[in-house]
Amino acid sequence: MAKQYKVVHCTVNGKEIEQIVDVRSSLTDMLRNDLHLTSVKKGCEVGECGACTVIINGEGFNSCIYLAVWAEGKEIWTLEGLTGPGGELSDIQQAFVDEGAIQCGFCTPGFIMTSWEIVNSGKEYTDDELRKALSGHLCRCTGYENIFRAVKKTMLRHLGKFEEAELVNSQGITEYPEPMPFK
Amino acid sequence: MATQLLMAKSPEEAIGAKNASAVFIAGGTEVNRLGSDAAAAADTLISLKKCAGLNEIEEAGDMVRIGAMCTFQQIVESQKTPAYLKEAALFMASRTKRNMATIGGNIAALRDDSYLLPVLFAVHAELEVLKAGRTESMTAYSYMESAEADGDMLITAVCVPKNMKVVSKRYANTAQSHAVLTMSAAMTGEGISLYGAVKNVGLLYFCDLEKAFRENPDISEDEIIEMVRVCTGLETADDMFGSDDYKRYLIGVTAFGLHSKLAGKEV
Repeated sequence: MAKQYKVVHCTVNGKEIEQIVDVRSSLTDMLRNDLHLTSVKKGCEVGECGACTVIINGEGFNSCIYLAVWAEGKEIWTLEGLTGPGGELSDIQQAFVDEGAIQCGFCTPGFIMTSWEIVNSGKEYTDDELRKALSGHLCRCTGYENIFRAVKKTMLRHLGKFEEAELVNSQGITEYPEPMPFK
Repeated sequence: MATQLLMAKSPEEAIGAKNASAVFIAGGTEVNRLGSDAAAAADTLISLKKCAGLNEIEEAGDMVRIGAMCTFQQIVESQKTPAYLKEAALFMASRTKRNMATIGGNIAALRDDSYLLPVLFAVHAELEVLKAGRTESMTAYSYMESAEADGDMLITAVCVPKNMKVVSKRYANTAQSHAVLTMSAAMTGEGISLYGAVKNVGLLYFCDLEKAFRENPDISEDEIIEMVRVCTGLETADDMFGSDDYKRYLIGVTAFGLHSKLAGKEV
């Protein structure tokens, strides 16, 4: 049977695009091969590792198991869309650098996209909720603590809790100062 | 391997296009990773993403009606969803996958490590199924039995009781791994209802254990473990998920634990 192609219209990183795709193509393939957005990583290709995560209409999806044709009319963001016009890093990207949350870097774009959704949600997640929200991503290098800390600190800063963000210790726990004893 | 894709606009269009060489694709977390033999052999995919009217969660008396295309994340976030179903949906640890996976897709995949089927079986969930141009109602368990004989059915909605005492347990090496055992127990009008999914064995109705608990609510853990150990109807085997003995032991202690929890006993 002959291959079937379709035209997909969507917005990627703020730009409207029109792309012909094989109906079987994954969104990962379209973003990487046709649009050259190589931050979208091909890891497991079965939706387990989260390296291919992109934001579609405000929510994180595994683009490796998302058909490109489903992107019709959707607004998609990849890591390339988070940087400023001069290549400046967004705050969540900078936090990953500052906290040493990157080693080989393969899982990083996916982690950052999910983190971006978390920190822009306006919600204050508990430590447990935050760990669960990040659990669709696998990292073989960092041991997750630095990633967790980067996301937690950025989330607190987005909520205007700058002092609290500085109290997050190396294990990601917020260490409040001892209250002054009564005299 | 599929080369054609049909974006169905309605459930009727989707079922009309279904034939032996076509498979439905809902959220894509199973079919797009070729998680079933049918998906690998199909030449046409029938996408249900654009089907209207399949993604609402609504209350209907003492039941909750969930559209088949509702995602796991919708189920988790909805205030109408019963807590026991939210718990089962959260067994899928990845939020990015929960944004995609649908309740209808998870049922239709009939996986032996299904996230939702044990709990849907236990609460005797009713499915609305489109078949040969008309909608039928059947329990999730009857769907499983019919689907093996007749694949040309499309689930359009799932109805679950709003208030029911239900407990579930899932065992896997990591939150992302295939589960060796998922088991659910519900307290129905007739007594305990006990179902499970055992990896490489299948979706199971533990009728003998159910009977044992109903006849003797004070049955001991050792008696239950022994019952499962010698059960000839249970076709467990040694594999990478564990030994035959391990699986049988796990089924026994889990069944006992769930029953005790339902009865409000200390475990």
